[in-house]
Amino acid sequence: MNTRNPDLNTRATAARQEGNFESRFRKLLEAAPDAILEVNPEGQITLLNEAAEKIFGYSRGELLGVNVENLVPAAMRGGHSQHRASYAGHPKTRPMGTGLELQGQRKDGSLFPVEISLSPNWIEGSLHVIASVRDITERKLVEDRIRAIHEQYTAELTAKNEQLEARSLEAEQANRLKNEFLASMSHELRTPLHTIIGFSELLTEQLEGPLNEKQNRFVGHILQDARHLLELINEVLDISKIESGRLELKRETFDFSHCVEEVLAGIHHHAANKKITLENKNRFQNALWADRLRVKEILYNLLSNAVKFTPEGGKVWIESADDGNLLDVSICDTGVGIPEAEQSLIFDKFYQAGDSRKATREGTGLGLAITKHLVELHGGHISVVSRPGHGSRFKVSFPLAHAPAIS
Amino acid sequence: MKRILIVDDKATSRELLHTVLERQGYAVSEAANGQEALEKVRAESPDLVLLDLQMPILNGYEVLGELRNDAAYATLPVIALTASAMQGDREKALAAGFTGYLAKPVALSHLREEIQRLLGPGNAANAGAIS
Repeated sequence: MNTRNPDLNTRATAARQEGNFESRFRKLLEAAPDAILEVNPEGQITLLNEAAEKIFGYSRGELLGVNVENLVPAAMRGGHSQHRASYAGHPKTRPMGTGLELQGQRKDGSLFPVEISLSPNWIEGSLHVIASVRDITERKLVEDRIRAIHEQYTAELTAKNEQLEARSLEAEQANRLKNEFLASMSHELRTPLHTIIGFSELLTEQLEGPLNEKQNRFVGHILQDARHLLELINEVLDISKIESGRLELKRETFDFSHCVEEVLAGIHHHAANKKITLENKNRFQNALWADRLRVKEILYNLLSNAVKFTPEGGKVWIESADDGNLLDVSICDTGVGIPEAEQSLIFDKFYQAGDSRKATREGTGLGLAITKHLVELHGGHISVVSRPGHGSRFKVSFPLAHAPAIS
Repeated sequence: MKRILIVDDKATSRELLHTVLERQGYAVSEAANGQEALEKVRAESPDLVLLDLQMPILNGYEVLGELRNDAAYATLPVIALTASAMQGDREKALAAGFTGYLAKPVALSHLREEIQRLLGPGNAANAGAIS
């Protein structure tokens, strides 16, 4: 009843007066899309709606009075009468065969999936059962389709995963082989260099007897070039370590100014040979938290380049500035300088300075590429300012990171 | 005189190290592989072993393992010598129980310092011109 709208109430009353209540209820049942059947205690169908005729393919006349088991697949009929008996023991409204795949059988013998809900209906003391039967063929189809799609998707995903796994395994293996190759290559190249450098050194010490001036110079050449060869091998190893991401920094806290002095001492001999003045204008006296050996390598690479590209009598110096967050280290020279067009290329792998820089091509062309990588591994940045004929200034900026507190 | 055993499968490397260390005033003997190294350690009881890591038959790590398992050589100074220069090699060697680590090519000055650090100076009479 609608208490808010007296109009609707009036109309309802009118409708009741118009039609017979029972016939309206019948229409309600007939309009239901599910088959609705009433079955008496003997199992005979006593009532059915239109949907029941349609779903099972029988006419009303063919079904009335017939045992309901005719609508059950032949194979299940025996069990069905037992289920009916047990339902009589607990007559409650409930779905039938929960969790089971129920099927109905049409007149033509074909089977179809159903969902059945049962309700007791006591008529004059005897238990009738109302069965509401839903044909779920469509739903099953959709479900099957969804399941199929899901299975296909899962299978594709599994296949893709397997592919990816196989590929990453391949890559891993290729990487491992490359690393093994590098390791053994490095070993094989260093082993003879060990004796070449060692015996050359022994000879220059002249402990086994004096060398004349020429012999001494020759041995010096062997020693110098053997050391150069060792540097090249180290560079090739370094770049491959960098490229495979295996180069890890070993940060420590160290005295930066001491580190600068060490590098300058190492480069002093080269500079003196070319009568180049080497100046230390570093002002940063604090500790740096970085990979000490790699920082030395960065400075050494830049300083030896500066000496290499500065003519006799020139000047090479290192200076620094810091603002508490960033340490800027500049390596400057009065050398040949770098044409602007080349400045963006010099940090590329294998790029070598052209003839314009009037220096012999030597080295791997990896020095600056490695230097840049090492700076960037420290979270830093490298740049160059240069004017041909006036020298170059390579600036390295290191973030002033601190060692993590030891917990 | 302090005795040093050089273990390296390469004869030229042995000769180099032998020459340098003998001049420094140590008594030097050689072994060409790990098996021979173990025999010589037991026969000669050297004061220090310079042990190449990559050798056929028994490698340096295996030789060290044998030595460290023997109470008589648990503290014998053993320096790893290797031409491998991969990251972490030194840490690996020191963790395995080597007393020191030298990478080939080794600078002679560095070699001398390291040996002297562990053994003290060699016999001056035999050291010749070495300062």
